[in-house]
Amino acid sequence: MISFGSVLRRGVAAGAAAGLVSALFIWLVVEPVIRKALVIEERRGASGGHAGGHAGESALFTIPASLPTHGGELVTRTQQVIGGAVTSVLVGIAFGVIFAVVFAKARHRLAGATDFWRSLGLATIGFGALTLLPAIVIPANPPAVGDPETVGQRTWLYVLALLLGVAIALAVPMLDRALARRGLTDSTRWSLDVVAALLAIITVVVVLPGTPDVVPDDVPADLLWEFRVASLGQLAAMWVTLGTVFGLLIERAVAAQRDSDGSASGQTPGRDVAAAGSPASA
Amino acid sequence: MANSSAVAVPAPTAAPLTSIRVPVWAWALLAVAVFTLYFVSQENGALLGAASAEMLHELTHDARHALGVPCH
Repeated sequence: MISFGSVLRRGVAAGAAAGLVSALFIWLVVEPVIRKALVIEERRGASGGHAGGHAGESALFTIPASLPTHGGELVTRTQQVIGGAVTSVLVGIAFGVIFAVVFAKARHRLAGATDFWRSLGLATIGFGALTLLPAIVIPANPPAVGDPETVGQRTWLYVLALLLGVAIALAVPMLDRALARRGLTDSTRWSLDVVAALLAIITVVVVLPGTPDVVPDDVPADLLWEFRVASLGQLAAMWVTLGTVFGLLIERAVAAQRDSDGSASGQTPGRDVAAAGSPASA
Repeated sequence: MANSSAVAVPAPTAAPLTSIRVPVWAWALLAVAVFTLYFVSQENGALLGAASAEMLHELTHDARHALGVPCH
């Protein structure tokens, strides 16, 4: 039996790797699009019109009216790019911790012949529930799009879509077990699972209102599309890295644990004997 | 699911799969992780003072846009 400490450490390592990959992806793919959007914001500022779309207040979060345009006095663009990289590593590690806990709890319920495939499966569910569903309800927007007046409303919509995604991810396996108790065949049960999941997703997408914002006229549709694809690509890269690296690490750890358990046969199956080390890491 | 009937031989795949016991402190850590995500993605002055919130907001700006979190 593998200890939680060793699972957690592998989650953190996989999360850090995922964060680094997503930082690299942002730098190579997302930043060029953000730069194009910032040019539009600056053009607005120069023409004295929309003031960069930044000043203003929302019902929930107050954004000071003095907030500079990007590249302004408060934070330089370089700092913003580095800050973005650090943020994505932090986000990766946080996702790694959550991933490790959920994997430990749900391991025996995840489909897959080995821990590697279970890990990839969990990452796929995570991508669908936490990334894809919110992205369909309220797609990512580059700078220069986004009305400060509605940021609170959009944030609630985003969080709501995310929570409903998690709810669906929890409810469908419950339905699956309920159907299994009724003795349905595998094929019937899985078909009903898929139908139920699709109905739930469609309901969420149809019932939740879309973004209240109107994309400004000076933002080309190309740029918007490019940014949304880049954003989804970055998140997909993060989830794929998280699932793959965690799967590789955990599969090896479980194999090593099994070997040491096997060599120490006859003794009590002590948890976390040699290779894994102290579980009290954090 | 598939290996419901346990095989008697201690073959590599014989052990019935169980969940890994999650200690109580792990849930606290999970809460910290969720809070970190909230903090870097949403902090717009709700917890920090305006100046430091503004600083954090601008520093995490690019990643937040890329992550698809709504932004002003």
